[in-house]
This record gives sequence, C-alpha cells and structure tokens, in this order.
Amino acid sequence: MKMMYQIGLLFGVCLLGQAVSVFLPISFPGSVLSMIILFLLLFFRVIKVDHIRQKADFLLKNMSFFFIPAGIGILSSFDLIRSSILPLITVIIVTTILTFGATALTVQGVIALQDRHAQAKQTKEKSSE
Amino acid sequence: MSEVYASPFFGIFLSILTFEIGVRINKKTKSAVANPLLIAVILCILVIKIFRIPLESYYVGGDLITVFLGPATAVLALSIYSQFALLKKYFLPILLGTITGSLVSVSSAYLLCKLFHLDDVLTRSMLTKSVTTPFAIAISKNIGGIPSVAVAAVVMTGILGSVFAPLLIRLFHVKNPVAAGVAIGTSSHAVGTSKAIELGETEGAMSGIAIGMAGIVTVIISLFL
Repeated sequence: MKMMYQIGLLFGVCLLGQAVSVFLPISFPGSVLSMIILFLLLFFRVIKVDHIRQKADFLLKNMSFFFIPAGIGILSSFDLIRSSILPLITVIIVTTILTFGATALTVQGVIALQDRHAQAKQTKEKSSE
Repeated sequence: MSEVYASPFFGIFLSILTFEIGVRINKKTKSAVANPLLIAVILCILVIKIFRIPLESYYVGGDLITVFLGPATAVLALSIYSQFALLKKYFLPILLGTITGSLVSVSSAYLLCKLFHLDDVLTRSMLTKSVTTPFAIAISKNIGGIPSVAVAAVVMTGILGSVFAPLLIRLFHVKNPVAAGVAIGTSSHAVGTSKAIELGETEGAMSGIAIGMAGIVTVIISLFL
C-alpha cells in the first residue's frame, strides 16, 4: 500500500481520537483513544493490516526515539525537583520494581489458578465419562 | 548562531544523531543499561547545557518529534489485533494484574514520599508516575500535583523501566511473556512498551494493552484521593 495513503490513514485515526477525547466527559488521552479506534477498525475489518503495515512497523521499531523530547523536558522542571532529587529517584526506583513485581506475579498467579481450574474440570469430565 | 539553533532542523538532527549514537553503543556493548533513549537524552541535555542553547530552540524541532508519539501509540493496536487470541484467553489475569499493579504503584509512591518527608504537592505529583504522560497530566492536575513534575516522574520511570525490564524479568522469574508484557506496561507505560516490543510481539502487545488499562484504573483510584 502506498506510503502517503498509510500516513494519511494513521493521522486521520489520530485526529478522530483527539476529537473523541475532547467530547468525553472525563479526561482520557487522545493517543489511547486512537489506539482503541484503530483496533476497532481492524477488528471489524474496515481496514486491513496491510493498509498500515509498513508505517506501523516503522513507528513500532523506533518507538523509543519519539520520547527523546519528553525526556529532555525534565530540564524544564528541574528547578522544582532539584532540592529533593535523591529521594525522588529512590521513590521512582523502588516503586517501579514493586509495581513490576506485583503485576507480573498477579498475572502469573491468576493464569496458574485458571490452568488448575481447567485441569480439574477436565479430570472431572473424564472421570464422569 | 541563535538562528541556526532556532531552526526546526536543529532539534530533529540532534535527536536523531544522539539516538543513532545510542543505538551503536547499545549494539556494541549489548548491555540493557546502554539504552539508546537514555543515552540520547543524556547527550542532548549535555549539548544543550554546554552550548547554552535555549530549551525553546530545541523544542522548535523537538515538538515535531513529539507529534509522532500519537501515531506511535495508536499503531500498538496492530500488535494487539495480531495477539487478540491471547488477550481474550488471558483477559482476567491481565485485568487483575493491572489493577494490582496500579494500586501498588500509587500506594507505594505515597508511602515512600511520606517516609522521605517530601512535601504534599510533590507527593501528589509522584502518584501518577506509572501511567502514560497524557493520563499523568490530567490526573495530577485533578489531585493537586504539579503537571510538569508529574511528567518528569513519568519519563524517569519510563526510562528506568525500559532499562531494567530484562533484569526485572529475571529477578522475579517471569516465565510467561503475557505476564512480562503486562508488568512492563503497568509499571513503565509507553516508554517501557518500546522495550517490550523489542523483547517480542506478545510482550509488546500486552504492554500496549496495559498502558490503557493501568491509565483507566489509576483515573478511578485518583477519584478516591
């Protein structure tokens, strides 16, 4: 599919996401709404993966690049956090590790429970046969 | 010279150049700590500080890069679509994981800030550190934090998450790629997701889903703060 078409389609979806976010009663980021809209368009086969494949691959493969200006933005609020920078960094490190661990262990734990439940059901069905 | 800095090409070129240096160092060292984003941000800050370039001049070009964050987040839909069978199968674990993770993130940030006697406004700016920037700005405004500080905390969390994600996966013995992806997205939002994509398509898709879910859950938590 032509590059210009892919870029146009994607920016159109982003514009739609932004528009929806303006009209929502709660503050919800336009970019996340665009993600949901694009998913729905794919899911209901309004557009095909091939329509945006190349452009999407380019963006996904280089995603971290687009965060550079946001990272440099730390400079603009540095004066506000300068005096307590060490405790703040400590808070960020510790909470990120805790959040990661709690999430991963919960997901794995619930999957294990589901698997056990499914197994128990299977053996029950087998024994009743 | 200031006319040169004020050109949009300056910010764009500096970002691409430093990122490319970061990618090369990363390939050479094969170390997670040599994260291209981290290297690029440090190098850019050094250049801006050493040559006393006004931050506004960098952002003439820098803002054009930020524009692409929208489409870059949106195309995560493609990964989610191709991993939809997994999402359906593991919806309950993913949902419970993001709820637990978001609760732990907000409460541990609150308790630790209190422990360090950080002032109330700063504390409120730290509570949104694990959600993606637009969510963090909106929530921190509502709960009485400073949005720019909240964004700084979000970015630091994201970079930290993307640097240490591979180590954390080993530390917590995370064998399931679904669990790894959800944990990366819940703890370090879209910046972490950029790392999750490198780890695998399942990790990337799950991390992308977790960005949205953790954001929504944190909005709900913030209503009680």
